[in-house]
Amino acid sequence: MQYEIEVGGRRRHVVVHREGDRFDVSIDGRPFQVNAVRIDAQVLSLIVGAASFEVTVAPDAAPAPLIVRVGTTPVVVEFQGLNGRRRFGQRGDPADVGTGPQRIAAPMPGKIVRVLVKTGEAVVARQPLVVVEAMKMENELRARRDGTIAEVHAKEGQSVEAGALLVVIQ
Amino acid sequence: MAPSFIVKKILIANRGEIAVRISRACREMGISPVAVYSECDRAALHVRYADEAYAIGPSAPRDSYLRIDRLLDAARAAGADAVHPGYGFLAENADFAAACRDAGLTFIGPTPEAIALMGSKTAARAAAIKAGVPVVPGTEDPLAADLADDEIARAAERIGYPLLVKAVAGGGGKGMRTVTAPADLAGAVRAARSEAGSAFGDAAVYFERRLTRPRHIEVQLLGDQHGTVVPFVERECSIQRRHQKVVEETPSLAVSPALRAAMTSSAAAVARAVGYTSAGTIEFLLDEDGRFYFLEMNTRLQVEHPVTEMVTGLDLVRWQIAIARGERLDVDPASALTPTGHAIECRIYAEDPDNNFLPSPGRILQLRAPAGPGIRDDSGATAGLDVPIFYDPMISKLIAWAEDRPRAVVRMRRALGEYLVAGIKTTVPFFTWLFAQPEFIEGRFHTAYLDEVLKARNGRPFVEPSADVEDVAAIAAALHAALSPRAAAAGSTAPAARPWKTQARVEGLR
Repeated sequence: MQYEIEVGGRRRHVVVHREGDRFDVSIDGRPFQVNAVRIDAQVLSLIVGAASFEVTVAPDAAPAPLIVRVGTTPVVVEFQGLNGRRRFGQRGDPADVGTGPQRIAAPMPGKIVRVLVKTGEAVVARQPLVVVEAMKMENELRARRDGTIAEVHAKEGQSVEAGALLVVIQ
Repeated sequence: MAPSFIVKKILIANRGEIAVRISRACREMGISPVAVYSECDRAALHVRYADEAYAIGPSAPRDSYLRIDRLLDAARAAGADAVHPGYGFLAENADFAAACRDAGLTFIGPTPEAIALMGSKTAARAAAIKAGVPVVPGTEDPLAADLADDEIARAAERIGYPLLVKAVAGGGGKGMRTVTAPADLAGAVRAARSEAGSAFGDAAVYFERRLTRPRHIEVQLLGDQHGTVVPFVERECSIQRRHQKVVEETPSLAVSPALRAAMTSSAAAVARAVGYTSAGTIEFLLDEDGRFYFLEMNTRLQVEHPVTEMVTGLDLVRWQIAIARGERLDVDPASALTPTGHAIECRIYAEDPDNNFLPSPGRILQLRAPAGPGIRDDSGATAGLDVPIFYDPMISKLIAWAEDRPRAVVRMRRALGEYLVAGIKTTVPFFTWLFAQPEFIEGRFHTAYLDEVLKARNGRPFVEPSADVEDVAAIAAALHAALSPRAAAAGSTAPAARPWKTQARVEGLR
C-alpha cells in the first residue's frame, strides 16, 4: 500500500508491505522494519527497529487533519489523495504561508467581548482580532499571517455559534 | 466530645473533578454522596460515582449549578443532611450558605457571615489591618461611584504608581487594570467598573499599589467551631497565566523557616479575628525585599488543596466534614507546618497551548492518566465524555510528590510523559515545556514570569517534533490506515459536513 502523507509541512511517499505483525515501511525510500500491534481504535504500539513507541491516532477537533501523538508529542499529519490532489479543507504547512483570504471563525459558541480591528486596517501575523468569551475565559482570535481586514462580521456583545464567520483578511 | 450534627448523606453542589474528590471523602467516612447534574453532564463521572443523582436543569450554570432553589430541592428529595459546595459556582455565595442553614441543612464551609465579610476585598483588608497583618498599600474604602476625576487622581497619587484598579467583589483577574501613568487612570477606572459590574453585579473598585515582581504565597488553614485555628505550610502559586494559577507547589523555595512562622501566624490571626470555621486560604503577596502583604481570603476549599494533603498526609475534605459535624480539630500544629517532602500540581486543561490556549472542547476518545510512585491524578474526565463548552475546561489536576523539589520536578516530567489524551487538545505539552525551563527548575519566578515568557515566545509551539518523531508519526499514520480500511477511507476523503462550515471551523481552530 502507498500513501502520500504530509508531516511538518513536508510531503512523504510512504510504502507499506505487510508480513504478519511485521511491516516493511519505506519513507521516501528510507527503509524501516516495524512491528505493529493495534491496542484499540486509536492506540498503536510500534516497535521500529528495536525502539518502542506508543502512538495515538485521532482526528483533530476539526474534521481534518489527524493528530498523531508519539508519546505525548502531538504531530499534525495529513493524508494527500494518491493523485496528489489536496483535499478540501486542508491547509498548507503549519506556518500557514498560503495565499488567499483568511476566514476567522468562532471556534465555539460564545460572546464577542471586543472587536479590535476595522475594515481596511492592515494586520500582522498573530495580531489579536477579536476577543470571544467562552468557557469562562476570554479568548483572543488572532491573524495567522499578514494581511488587510476585508470584512468584519463580529459585533461587541453579540452571541455567536461555533463556526460563525467573524473576520475575513485578504 | 460527641459530634453536634450527624451527617449521613451529603449533597455535592458541584460537578467535575471536585465533585468526585468530595464523593471519595464521603465514601471513606461511610457517608452517602449525592450528585447533581445539568443536561450536558448526565454521563459525567461525578454522576456515575455517586449513590444518587438529581437533574437540576439546562447546561448553562445560571440555569443549574447556580440555582439555589433547585439544589435545595435536590437535597430535600435525597433526604441529605448536609451540602458541600466544592469550589467555584456557589462556594463563596453567602446567600447559598444562609439558604442551606435556613433549610436545616449543614453547610460544609464557613458561616454566611464569614463568607460575606471576606468576600468584600475592602472589608477583608480592614479585617487584616485590625489583626495586625500588613496589606498592600491602597485605598481603605471603595471609590465612590460619583467621585470626580480629579479626586480619583488625588487618591491614586497617594497610593503611587504603578497601581492596580481592582473590583471590590473581584476574583480571577476580572475587573482589574494596571495603571502605570496618571494619563491612563480615568479610562482604567471606567473599564474596571464596567467589567466588575457585568462580572460580579457590583461595579465598586479600589486602588492598590502594584508590587513589581511579587510571588503569590498562600496559607491553607482549618478552623473548628471551638475556636481552634491551625495554619498549614505555605503554597507557592506564582506560576499564573492571565492571573489564573496553573502550577502550585508546597513548600515554597522563597520561604525560610522564619518567614513561614511569620506568614502562617499572620494568616491564623486574620482567621481568628473573623471567627473563621472550616477550610480557608489566606493569600499573600511576597515582595522581592522579603516583606509580605495580605491579599485576600478564599472562604472555601481550593483547587490546589491536594499539594497540602500530599506533604501533610491529611485529608482536608474529611476535616471540612468533621468540623461541620462539630468535631474538634486535633491536628498537631507543629506537624501541619512541617512538610514531608515536596508536592507540585499541574492544572491540566482542555486547551490548545499552541493556539493561544484556546479552549478545546469535544469528545475525549482516549484517556490514560499517569500513575505509579508519588503520583495523584484528581480527574472528572473519562474516555467517551465530551468536555462541555459551558464550564471551566479543567479536566484534571496532576500532582507529583517526592522527597524534595528536584525529584518532584523529575517525577512530574515522567508523569506528563505518561498522560495519554486523544480527541481533544490539552495543556500537557505546555507543562512539558515549562518543567524544562531553567527559571522554573531553579525556582526563579514571580507572578508575571509566565505571561512575560509566553509573550516573548510569541506562539512558538511548545513541543516541536524531531525528524525521528515525524518519521514515526508518518509510519503510524500509514499503518493506522493499512490496519483499518475504514480509517484509511476516513483519512482520505472529506467528511460530508457542509464544506464552507467545515473550512470555517478548521481555520478558526488554527
